[in-house]
Amino acid sequence: MGAGRPLEGIRVADFTWVWAGPFCTLQLAHLGAEVIRIETASRPCVTRMLPPWLDGKPGINRSGYFNQYNQGKLSLSLDLKQPRAVEIAKELVAQSDIVCENFAAGVMVRFGLGYEVLSQVKPDIIMIAMSGYGASGPEHEYVSYGPAQVPLSGMSSLTGYSGWPPMHVGISYGDPTGGLHGAFAVLAALLYRQRTGKGQFIDLSQQETSIAVLPEGVLAQTMNGEQPPRSGNRDPWMAPHGVFRCAGEQRWVSLAVRNDKEWHRLASAIGNAALADDKRFSSLQARKANEDELEKIITAWTLQHSPEDITEVLQGIEIASFPAFNSQDLSDDPHLNRAGAFVELEHPEVGRLRHIGMPWRMLGTPCAVERPAPCLGQHTDYVMSEILGHSDGEIAELKSAGVLR
Amino acid sequence: MSERALEGLRVIECGELVAAAYATKLLADLGADVIKVEPPGNGDAARYRGPFPGNQVDPEKSGLFLYLNTNKRAITLDLRQRRGQEILRELVGGADLLVHNFGPHEMTAAGIDYPSLSEINPKLILVSIAPFGLEGPHSTWATTDLTLWNAGGIAYLNGGGPGTDDMPPLKAFGQQAGFQGGLNAAIAALAAVFARGVNGAGQHVVISIQECLAAILELTYEYYPYMGLIASRLGHKPIQPLDFLECKDGWIFVCCVEEHQWQTLVDLMGNPEWTQIELFENRIARAANWDACKLFLQEWASTQSVSDLYHAGQARRIPLAPVSTMADLLTSDHLKTRGFFAVIDHPKAGRVTMPGAPYGFGCTPWELRRPAPLLGQHNDEIFSTLLQLNESTRRDLHAQGVI
Repeated sequence: MGAGRPLEGIRVADFTWVWAGPFCTLQLAHLGAEVIRIETASRPCVTRMLPPWLDGKPGINRSGYFNQYNQGKLSLSLDLKQPRAVEIAKELVAQSDIVCENFAAGVMVRFGLGYEVLSQVKPDIIMIAMSGYGASGPEHEYVSYGPAQVPLSGMSSLTGYSGWPPMHVGISYGDPTGGLHGAFAVLAALLYRQRTGKGQFIDLSQQETSIAVLPEGVLAQTMNGEQPPRSGNRDPWMAPHGVFRCAGEQRWVSLAVRNDKEWHRLASAIGNAALADDKRFSSLQARKANEDELEKIITAWTLQHSPEDITEVLQGIEIASFPAFNSQDLSDDPHLNRAGAFVELEHPEVGRLRHIGMPWRMLGTPCAVERPAPCLGQHTDYVMSEILGHSDGEIAELKSAGVLR
Repeated sequence: MSERALEGLRVIECGELVAAAYATKLLADLGADVIKVEPPGNGDAARYRGPFPGNQVDPEKSGLFLYLNTNKRAITLDLRQRRGQEILRELVGGADLLVHNFGPHEMTAAGIDYPSLSEINPKLILVSIAPFGLEGPHSTWATTDLTLWNAGGIAYLNGGGPGTDDMPPLKAFGQQAGFQGGLNAAIAALAAVFARGVNGAGQHVVISIQECLAAILELTYEYYPYMGLIASRLGHKPIQPLDFLECKDGWIFVCCVEEHQWQTLVDLMGNPEWTQIELFENRIARAANWDACKLFLQEWASTQSVSDLYHAGQARRIPLAPVSTMADLLTSDHLKTRGFFAVIDHPKAGRVTMPGAPYGFGCTPWELRRPAPLLGQHNDEIFSTLLQLNESTRRDLHAQGVI
């Protein structure tokens, strides 16, 4: 039984940047592929230039944002504005199985690294382009930023408190959703290549992958011509269903009641005997009709307790509940710590800090993050000599010419 | 017809609601043969979530179910009965993957355990998607999509805004914890199939939805280990504008990350005097004084139309985005040209338009070959041809409520 990681021996030429693309290649790195990020000091990845930095001190290798989403990868510095750098990129593609990029449509072609060219260099290459709007269509060259993808895809028009303006979701949700769809598509193409020997080009639109997770919104419109109203944390089929204030500063608990039996158990847990028989709340329909009132009663109870106490009580009677976790809660959580959710590896500039690892356990081919995120250009020499066979003299010359920069 | 990427892959799905069903939809839409197992009687809970045509509840017309189960065949099987479990084992004998999203207790009750299934089929890949994984103190806890969104740390990052910290953490629309769990499961599943192509062995893969969500906290989680700070939904954004403005016919999202984008927007607005105020001189200053800056911007936006502003801004490389309504998406020229939305003909729900291919492959198609199945639609087909149960056996099983 082979216990190697699933993608052991697969090499990825990673031209991605910011979050969506690097999140796609993070999955491939987690699965054991050798992912080589092509970066340049003349235009570093946006996430290297953003906080959080260790101790608040900026530095190109000190950002937690970059270091989280580039775990396990290698870094080759290569300034693609230079013709010789483009030739080196082609040499790398010739030694790779997969090419990933998430520039706006057309940028790779302008570098001279479009699929037409790369499939000449490596006929069975699998290449994925993950632009904001996809590779075709009247808006394909539009500029797309993570925060704008959430409204563009329709998520914001559906998300928000009742009667409030459209809202965000707290993260640039289109990026990881696009990145995961991208990793899935690459694996499907890899299986096809395993069977037939053929590579192919994949055109992924972050807008479309973001719409793919909104079926209830889209189908309400296509079936009934209605847009579902923004309704906060409420649910059409469950009540109470919300996030409630608890004792303490910004302490909140989520809970959801799925049926009348659960409601009766919750009513007794609240300790108000009359509540279980109160006609205003006796059925889902009644609870939905009187939901404002219902939420006031729940809040009066939760305000007296901590989120942990509420959760413990409700889990004891099999009602779904969980505190609204923040990053410290996640870090301190005994369940997550025991599950091995965190990765702490020695990084040359930030030392051993905690990052989030992969959310799956493959029991037959165990995966583990093998190395922390790379410093910019950390593996330039390795890639140039071990993979591409350039001599030390050539490498030194390319460095001084600013090609390997 | 060209060959499909996942042609020949047989998948059994024991899924409820979103996570397992989305994982296997991704597989089915690329050509895998997916057989969905539902409990007799009511079937999958997704059949009761809607939306429904005319808002009339009908388990054969739920939009969520119709979307999540394209290209699948479906049987009914009572996995609480021994005979039901035996039939599942027979199915597993000829399958590549079994994907489920039962918790650890339900999984045992349904007779799903890796050691005994791998005895029947050593090449089987068992994919278990569970809220908190299969082990540990929270693994048996009750959850819904809302409580998981909170457990993963995302809800805490959203909602309210400056001066509204009495408003609760806010979930995203829909069943996003389920979708994230499904996406990660589909990735791990295909990786396991790929590994099996190399080493010949099946395996058990476990996905924790809570960990899937903790993995997408963007830059927020790392503020804690790197700087000892806890990110929350409260307070001001570090740079502006990154906000929603109301136009005369809808909402637009104004996004100026780089200074030159702001300068171009100022130009587009006709260089109004207020933009020269020192309080708004750079993106950090605008964020610190956003309340005032937004008033000016909002006043201007309210005279504009969303579509004109969006295209005018994008023509100048300002990353503006419309706050698309569902109707906007369905009438978008861009999405129409790309042929994104797909139409299926369903025997009960009729013609239904839904999100289509989220990616296009050069050689292998993404296709809708069949609409979502009716409850137990393929019982006869699968029990007779695949499992060779004769008619009288099938009648007995039906009478016993097994199928």
